[in-house]
Amino acid sequence: MNPDSENFDSLRQLLALKRHEIPPPGYFDRFSRDVMARIKVGESGGAVGFELSWFQRLLSVFDVKPMFAGAFGTAVCAFLISGVISSEQAPAVGSAATSSVNPSIAAAVPVNMEEPFVAPSNTMASGSLFDQFQLQTKQVDDRFYLPNN
Amino acid sequence: MHWGLMREAAMIMTEPISGKSGDTLKRFPEGESADSAPPPVEESELVGRARKGDLSAYDQLVQRYQERIYATVYHMTSNHEDANDLAQEAFIKGFQALKSFKGGSSFYTWVYRIAVNKTINFLKQRKNRAQMSLNDLDFNAEHDPDLVALVSDKTPRREAGLTELQEKLNEAMQKLSEPHRLVVTLHDVQGLSHEEIAKIMGCNIGTVRSRLFYARQQLQGFLSDYLK
Repeated sequence: MNPDSENFDSLRQLLALKRHEIPPPGYFDRFSRDVMARIKVGESGGAVGFELSWFQRLLSVFDVKPMFAGAFGTAVCAFLISGVISSEQAPAVGSAATSSVNPSIAAAVPVNMEEPFVAPSNTMASGSLFDQFQLQTKQVDDRFYLPNN
Repeated sequence: MHWGLMREAAMIMTEPISGKSGDTLKRFPEGESADSAPPPVEESELVGRARKGDLSAYDQLVQRYQERIYATVYHMTSNHEDANDLAQEAFIKGFQALKSFKGGSSFYTWVYRIAVNKTINFLKQRKNRAQMSLNDLDFNAEHDPDLVALVSDKTPRREAGLTELQEKLNEAMQKLSEPHRLVVTLHDVQGLSHEEIAKIMGCNIGTVRSRLFYARQQLQGFLSDYLK
């Protein structure tokens, strides 16, 4: 398939019109001056803050080599997913830790054999991170007391 | 088809710059001849000085290639203001990334690819606000025999005909996908060879040929009322 062998002569004549589209007079006299001015501003601005120049360098690498942008995005996604997975596994590990009581701790805690041990609500294994924050309610005595005279 | 084109566009942006050291683009249809092209040694000298921070050397490089870079971006966007911004940003990015330029291709090819990548990224974001801001036609357009023949068949008033043709042509160009528009721009408007386009786009010559064929077919369909 040779595109030049096909009959596109009229189209090519018409496309030649685009070569006659020119920018305003004097445009290219200013162009390089504007570019150099922006480069100089960028150079002076780059020394203002370390973090800004670091970020700009990263962006410029992404712009020149878009493959890095894809790799960076993939790495961030992988980090995020691994964080979510590890946070979901964390409660299971916590419950396993509470079930196996350290003997030294057990010996140090005085045990009243007559009363069953009730673990505080905030140390109980929970299904999610949000379940660990349980509001402790206290019944309010709403009876009205007259002050003693 | 659409996803295939998107993949092709992504390949253009991710493939490494190919080409041998000292490669130059030989065809300069916009008023320049091959004889006026600077020798590669001189370009490499300017690049070497610019890498050391010599702004005057980089200024010479900008002046040397500004018209061709601007023209390519302009024909891709059909918007003078966008082309101005993108062409300037391409040269600024080129200066900032000059230290990473290994010399595996000519500086021109390298900065051209920066401009093309920037333009394609921009056009993907601009999809929904394609507003044209066309440059005026130069005086020579009225005396171009090919254009005169095209216009005189269609309209009695030559000047109005050219302006109308310009708008329709740019509208048709904007209907093409970015890779197809780029191939038509580089080959049929700027006169680059298939080999040179393949180097700039980072693809093989067969791909360039097939894209060119498809793009011309599309354009011929869009502009059938204005073609003989």
